[in-house]
Amino acid sequence: MSRYAVNSLLYRLKKDREFRARFSTDPRAALADADLTEAERAAFLARDMRRINELGGYLHLVLSIPGLAVH
Amino acid sequence: MGKIVFAGAMSHVLDPDYYDAACGPVGRRKVEDVMEAIRQMGARLAARSPDALIVVADDHLNAFSFNAVPALCVRIGTTVSRMVQEDAEAFDKVLEDMPLTYPLHEALANQILEQGLASGFDLALSWEAPLDHAFLSPVTTLFGPRPIPPLVPIWVNCFVAPQPTARRCFDFGRHIARVVAGSPWNVGIIATGGLSHFPELLVARVGESDTVFDRKILHWLEHGEHEPLCRLSADELHKSGEHEFLNWMVLIGAITPARADVRYFGELGRINLAAVEWRVE
Repeated sequence: MSRYAVNSLLYRLKKDREFRARFSTDPRAALADADLTEAERAAFLARDMRRINELGGYLHLVLSIPGLAVH
Repeated sequence: MGKIVFAGAMSHVLDPDYYDAACGPVGRRKVEDVMEAIRQMGARLAARSPDALIVVADDHLNAFSFNAVPALCVRIGTTVSRMVQEDAEAFDKVLEDMPLTYPLHEALANQILEQGLASGFDLALSWEAPLDHAFLSPVTTLFGPRPIPPLVPIWVNCFVAPQPTARRCFDFGRHIARVVAGSPWNVGIIATGGLSHFPELLVARVGESDTVFDRKILHWLEHGEHEPLCRLSADELHKSGEHEFLNWMVLIGAITPARADVRYFGELGRINLAAVEWRVE
């Protein structure tokens, strides 16, 4: 599990509107350079915030990313 | 000689629309009730004309990134901005109608910082960190249309493990009390967040709160029993969803051994809403 990679990606999705738009359009390409495990990458591609949280993503990030937040 | 003229702690997501969406009409009603209790606390605070208001709260990975996560951080400078979040979701959205900048009490912040470093508290400082809902929702609810006094924002790392201990937060509050006592100012202090919510910081447990734990804490606060609070472990706080009680521990250190009056406590499942005021006069 790469806790830093997961959370830095979540942080970027929250704060970087342009990156968020790229992720929305082509998530596989947006994540290409991210240092994620297969499970982490699959969770991001599925936009499965609950799973991302289980894999170490901070709760307040998965609750607050525009357009992706779980409630 | 300076004095702490007001001390209060309260939940900090104060948005009826948010709780209506999350919990239905009962959520709206209960958050409106706690906001009314906070407004009444604000009237008492404003009547004491504080020269400064210390606000102890936590960051939600808004002000600080993974670049650095300070355990305890004092905001210095002359003004502070509110956080701006494009397309904000959830509790970030409530900020949008609030003023963009707020005055700081530069001299008090500097004294807390400088005297802290001189006496063994390795505090972080920030000239630029903005304020999120944890600071501004309680402040704007307390003061309403009245002028907001110069602020001294202080962050406690409540969420990114390892956090400072409950006892360390309490000891930092003792330091704040010493600085205020040696100053010429009348100072208000608030701590925000809580009570129990989001146990273990898991999405799967959003919707749970630990009311038994909350009532135990409130009992100790009402009776001025602060030593059991200092002994709360990181594991206890994590499992019970009391992460943000670390903010309250700073305040408790600043006013110990004062007793508290519970102005509002409401169970909501998703969170237990609370407003508490200490007898400092």
